[in-house]
Amino acid sequence: MTAGSSTEAQAGLAEQLTGFVGMEAEPPRVARYAVNEAMVRNWVEAHDDRNPVYVDQARARETGRQGIVCPPAMISTWVMAGYRRWREVHRLRSEGIVEDFAYSRLLNLLDQAGYTSVVATNVEQEYHRELHPGDHVTAHFTIESISPVKRTALGEGCFLTLHKKYVDQAGDLLVEERFRLLRFKPKAAEPAAGEDKA
Amino acid sequence: MSELVSAPGITVSFPDCQVGAQLPALDLPLDRTTIVATAIASQDFEDVHHDPGKAQERGTPDIFMSINSTNGFIDRYVTDWSGPAARITRVGLRLGVPNFPGDTMRLTGEVTGVDGDAVTLRVLGSNDRGVHVTAEVTLVPTGGNAR
Repeated sequence: MTAGSSTEAQAGLAEQLTGFVGMEAEPPRVARYAVNEAMVRNWVEAHDDRNPVYVDQARARETGRQGIVCPPAMISTWVMAGYRRWREVHRLRSEGIVEDFAYSRLLNLLDQAGYTSVVATNVEQEYHRELHPGDHVTAHFTIESISPVKRTALGEGCFLTLHKKYVDQAGDLLVEERFRLLRFKPKAAEPAAGEDKA
Repeated sequence: MSELVSAPGITVSFPDCQVGAQLPALDLPLDRTTIVATAIASQDFEDVHHDPGKAQERGTPDIFMSINSTNGFIDRYVTDWSGPAARITRVGLRLGVPNFPGDTMRLTGEVTGVDGDAVTLRVLGSNDRGVHVTAEVTLVPTGGNAR
């Protein structure tokens, strides 16, 4: 379906988008692995971060910690779905198959309207405590807000804000996050939409 | 007050922080491998972070750094300055121009607030095309040898 540029189509889309606000985005995401030293090392090496508290128990204890901790920015890594699931999600999207949760329905709606590209624009994270190896993270994602369709430097699109609450194995709050992203129709895209997708 | 245990040459005591104090700048040359390695370390397989052809189809000239990688470099920059006896309690970041392969991101920072033990910094990451990231980061001492 071509991206409706008529005002009626835009109004219809806006109304549908508004309906997603406040909904749980998807079922709670349970980390595939507990926080672990191997994945932490991969991360700190990639960032060339030499802070010893991520890799050295003794140095971490010297700072008053009980042992090594996880880099704060790694929080979202623990609940990533993994390569196989990523492939599956993209296959389903490209086939127009919608899964039974709000975020999948929302992305399908945006895909249909031609807003197939994505770029993250903001993240805010409040860290309630540091994570240690063995911690098991679960994340609860809520669709917090959806902007009207706007013209941006990248192209026409709308901003989504997700609220993410990360808890530990006891259900205690670890991190509260707001993540804002732009779903947009790339300017370079051919006028006959619906191309897209790997 | 005792000194922080820290990397050589980097010793900062929180109580000495004053609003307006500047962090030393850090130039980070970013090649394609850096952008891909950091994305994959965060389990982010979005094609715009590793596939130049797909990135172009999606409207950008090349692959670009993920927001989580940017966040990771801010962690590194801030704790390189503070030393390890610090805990980041909050970060808020806004992205501007992308970081592409071949860019050098210059990180700069300034103390913008001191509230009891908590220090708030404003961090900027810029490349030749402009500001890539504007961040506000709050950190507190962890105790141990820090106090």
